[in-house]
Amino acid sequence: MSKLKGIYTDIVKIRRMVFAEIARLALKDAECEEFDKIPYRIIDTEEATYRSSIFKERAIVAARVRMGLSMDYASNQEHKLLSEGIREFLAEEGQLKEPLVNVIRFACEKCPTNAHFVTNNCRKCLAHPCSIVCPVDAITIEENAAVIDQEKCINCGKCKAACPYEAIVNYERPCAAACGVNAIESDEHMRAKINHDKCVSCGQCIIACPFGAIADKSMIYQLLRSIKAGNDVRAIIAPSFVGQFGPLVSAEKIVAALKKLGLNEVREVSLGADFASLHEAELFAHDIPDKQPYLGTSCCPSWTYVADKHVPEVKENISESSSPMIFAAESVKADNQESEVVFIGPCVSKKLEALSPKVKDKVDYVITFEELAAIFVAAGIELTKVETEAEIEDASYYGRGYANAGGVAAAISQNLKEQYEIEPEISRADGLASCKKTLLLAKAGKLAGYLIEGMACEGGCVGGPGTLLATNRGAKYVSKFADQSPYKFAFENKNLAKDKN
Amino acid sequence: MIKVDICVGSHCSLVGALNLLDNVEALQLEYPDQIVVNKVECLDMCDDIKNAPLVKVDDELITAAQTQLVISKVMERIK
Ligand code: SF4
Ligand code: FES
Repeated sequence: MSKLKGIYTDIVKIRRMVFAEIARLALKDAECEEFDKIPYRIIDTEEATYRSSIFKERAIVAARVRMGLSMDYASNQEHKLLSEGIREFLAEEGQLKEPLVNVIRFACEKCPTNAHFVTNNCRKCLAHPCSIVCPVDAITIEENAAVIDQEKCINCGKCKAACPYEAIVNYERPCAAACGVNAIESDEHMRAKINHDKCVSCGQCIIACPFGAIADKSMIYQLLRSIKAGNDVRAIIAPSFVGQFGPLVSAEKIVAALKKLGLNEVREVSLGADFASLHEAELFAHDIPDKQPYLGTSCCPSWTYVADKHVPEVKENISESSSPMIFAAESVKADNQESEVVFIGPCVSKKLEALSPKVKDKVDYVITFEELAAIFVAAGIELTKVETEAEIEDASYYGRGYANAGGVAAAISQNLKEQYEIEPEISRADGLASCKKTLLLAKAGKLAGYLIEGMACEGGCVGGPGTLLATNRGAKYVSKFADQSPYKFAFENKNLAKDKN
Repeated sequence: MIKVDICVGSHCSLVGALNLLDNVEALQLEYPDQIVVNKVECLDMCDDIKNAPLVKVDDELITAAQTQLVISKVMERIK
């Protein structure tokens, strides 16, 4: 996990301020010209604080505003005022299109790519184990210190491990180090460039870049305009939501605050998780091992994109079942045909899942917890002080547990045990690199008969890039909330029967 | 006892109060007999978000509170 996950930095602050400004203007139906002021409102100093010049800082904020409205990165290269571009974009399609995750190229500081360097901790010691352990003979002992021949070095790290003075460092590009599928390459100016054929939109590089040079697109504006237009907008909220808005803000308060914002209803996506775990247990019981060798779970879109893009041979063994998001959205639309559905979650790649042909009529907007927190502030909704209504009881203990790594497999295997008397072997992967490794094992035939859970984010959804809390804190809240459910297993959940008719 | 009130309202949480709370609570574990940490509701001083997050160390109000500053204010008082 990136070292920056869960730490509040100035990058996080600027990102959130941009979201709050976009939300503020959407809520008051502002003229496009108002957007031109955002870079000046956010960077309101006399001199640059972070970069070479204040003009560059403001230009980066402007780029964030464009992407915050879902405009394509290319719009930053056009000679147009922020407001002009926005007016044209909103008049034309005005919707999010791929690619979702983009490098703001002029914000990238061209960090060196993966390399081992000798620092001046080197004492040029007599033993110089570094040069002895190097398998490619890349290290020579020069006049003052050991020197690594970068042409020969294969970055194996043996010298670093052997040095008694910690004199050798491995310098990695933070964005590339965070990417488990090696999608970060360099452009001709040595700036980071995302290879979109490899990228699975997990969003971890957004968190990892210490210069805030990577951003995804957002639907804050589109969602709020729809609510303001008086449409029947209903929310489904992902299992990792509890605790994300602070220790005094209960799940019930979050629901009440969303209603105050103008949403007509809020359902737990964990309800969809209950549907999904029953469905996947049924699939497993029927098809494994006769029709297919193993079953991979379907809830994490980036995990399924890893299969699509990197290990296509296993694709057919990843469940065809729908994700909890889809089930939850279907249940809302079944009851309210004219409604629009917004998915609120920790996840960046759900924004893409919602664009796919199978899902686009079910989920209309996807918003992260972080974006929602900014919306609440823009709308002047004080979460610690909202009045709550009834308790929420949409989902089972195991459904609510979907947000933590291990929770998906636990839910499915409990159903298998209770309903089919099957106790499958389980393999779990969290983090992209581990997802890819697991899928390669599956491809090699090593996981026959297994139930395989894959989550692109370390720790599961609570480790998602759209969360506000440190991962371990989020995980604790999720477990506590799961304990409060009136139902233990998915098949005991009374809301499912009600929804199915 | 040094009393640290950390506002965890909407504005303060958006701009870093939750991370600050993590850090102050970690400090509290080191000095359990000397520090008490309270999470408090919106103090109604966040109309201008530039004031957030708000923290009180005993009776001293800190606006735009950053972890480093809050921790040093607490450490000044530790015996
Ligand atoms: S970490 Fe950020 S600044 Fe460094 S190369 Fe990656 S995108 Fe560029
Ligand atoms: S949220 Fe902290 S003072 Fe209002």
